[in-house]
Amino acid sequence: MAIDTVPPLISAQINYLIGHCPFSVKVEQMWSGCKNPNLLDRFTLVIPYCLDHVKWDVIFNAMYPLAAPDVIFGPEDEGFQPYASGTGQPSKNSLANWNSRDPSRLYSLIVELRDAYMAFQRRRISEIDDERVKFEFSTMISREGIEMYMSLGTDKPEEVKFAVPLLDIDLNKLVAGCTWRHPQKVYLQVIFPVGKKYSSVPPPPRLKLISSPELKALLSTEDFKLPTWVDGMCTAEYLPNLEQMLNTQIKDAVSSIEIRRKFIQSLAPHLGRPIEADPVFCRRATFLCSSGLFTFQVHCALSLQFPKQQPALVLQSSQHFNAHGAPVKSPTLSEYPWSPRWNSSEKADRIFDFLADEALNFKKNCNQLNQQ
Amino acid sequence: MDDFPIDKIQISGASLASLLHRASSAVGDSHGYLFGHAAVSTSNPLSDHPTSAAPTSLLITTITSFLSLPSHLPLPPPPPSSSTCLLGWFSARRKTPLRPSLKDSAASLSLSSSPLLAITPQNSSLSLSPSIFLLITTPFHDQLIHTHEYKAFQFRGGSFDPKSLSIVNIGPSFRSQYDSFSPNLQLPMMNSDLRGPNAMVEDEIDESLAGKRDQLRNQKQLDLCAEGFEIGRVSKLMSSEAAYTAEMEDLYDKMLAKIDTLSKLVEHSNAKVLDQENRNMRLRSRVAGLE
Repeated sequence: MAIDTVPPLISAQINYLIGHCPFSVKVEQMWSGCKNPNLLDRFTLVIPYCLDHVKWDVIFNAMYPLAAPDVIFGPEDEGFQPYASGTGQPSKNSLANWNSRDPSRLYSLIVELRDAYMAFQRRRISEIDDERVKFEFSTMISREGIEMYMSLGTDKPEEVKFAVPLLDIDLNKLVAGCTWRHPQKVYLQVIFPVGKKYSSVPPPPRLKLISSPELKALLSTEDFKLPTWVDGMCTAEYLPNLEQMLNTQIKDAVSSIEIRRKFIQSLAPHLGRPIEADPVFCRRATFLCSSGLFTFQVHCALSLQFPKQQPALVLQSSQHFNAHGAPVKSPTLSEYPWSPRWNSSEKADRIFDFLADEALNFKKNCNQLNQQ
Repeated sequence: MDDFPIDKIQISGASLASLLHRASSAVGDSHGYLFGHAAVSTSNPLSDHPTSAAPTSLLITTITSFLSLPSHLPLPPPPPSSSTCLLGWFSARRKTPLRPSLKDSAASLSLSSSPLLAITPQNSSLSLSPSIFLLITTPFHDQLIHTHEYKAFQFRGGSFDPKSLSIVNIGPSFRSQYDSFSPNLQLPMMNSDLRGPNAMVEDEIDESLAGKRDQLRNQKQLDLCAEGFEIGRVSKLMSSEAAYTAEMEDLYDKMLAKIDTLSKLVEHSNAKVLDQENRNMRLRSRVAGLE
């Protein structure tokens, strides 16, 4: 038997889960719980929840892979007993009548458990004895897709976190040709402390704008300047202004794709057609150039602040290799004559001029390196 | 149903050792029932201190035996509380966190919420449901000395309340154990009648033929067990010293022979069980597509 095998029935369940899950679920580690340590039958699932992750251990039994799995939740969630309704009646759930031949079973179990977990957190937060949290909860609960989480740590203060999805538009449709598999969203993370008594006005909550990871190619939420929180305000009041600002920002971000595309196209008459380019977001392009007999590649990376920020260039020789056999590269070049006010053809002209000079320097450096 | 908090969960060293051995020798994970007894004991603090508090009563449960089976098989319907004293259940799973799982909470809930299973501890009128849950795991990384981890809980009011498990051994420091000692050896029920002149003849007439045949078979079995050890031989012990020694030696030899046959039988049946287990394992692997 091969080393470290996942029994086929179990691996079919995992593959289906990862391939079909509406949220991006990951298997963190796998290990064995039976006498044959090569049969892996238990694993940790990392499930995104409320802009963070929960880790659940799924326990299968390699000796009896036909049996239903068991799930162990995180140490903070010992009160989470989704199938213990307390009525004494066995509740209808995905574990009942487990059929190991149906690979979608683990998927439906995890989706069901995540929904139950969401309800569990809501219930936990609704029971908090804190006027401000109570009010925020009652005004926010109706927002579609909102997730909330209460952290109960012995060493950290109790906090309630809301993840509020912003803008009711489908971002996946905004960018032509994008390959995002999961729906992309921008969230406002709002964190309130629990059970603190304030003498006068409560301080603003901790606010942070967070986007789903793949959206980072289009939009940088770190550079977004959040509107100020006025004393005595609540989240529901804060959101409309923020959504308006964000909407403008997203429109700008989408239109900036075209600006970048035009710029890459304007480089083509000087450097030739790019041998490789990012066709969706136009964030990078690679050209094959030559200076006399010396051939090299130019990697051109465009930041989201383009054209305010000039493209970062890296030269890579096609003829020189270092001791490890990797091609020699120049350091990132981002200090060269540039003005955002130039039109695209002038920008391209200036870059070409700069590259013509820089190529000679780079060639000299490469030759020196090879002689050593 | 909200139970009273258990003050102490005890288990004899031998029972715990056997439980851990069962868990580690099982092919996969296992689970099963825990049996024992519960009692309310009034501890009497023998103290010279004048302000010593009034005697407090403690609810003490003692685990004496268990029933285990592989955890892919569901637990059998629990026996009614009249015959045995079901205290709770255990789950043994290797290399998992020492926290109750989804299945553990569901099983504990259904076990502790069944009013038919409630027991009444000795010296009290309380009602205690089988709410003890013992979790046995092994550490994530194989270690030479530290090979097992266990934690006891009482499932109360819908959540697991961690309890310490005290291990009972023999020795002076366990003297207080004898207060709550209750023998619970169960002899098999065999209606062996005393076949003799004073057997009640009238009763036999009423009995059906099937009953008689049943009785006859039991008697035969009993006779087989006692073969070579007839009651008549006891009288031979009384005659003389020489006869006593000879008779004693004969009885002893017979006993050794019997034990020898018995152990051979056990050996053979164990080999058969192992053989069947291996065959089952191969079939299971084939079903699971591991071949």
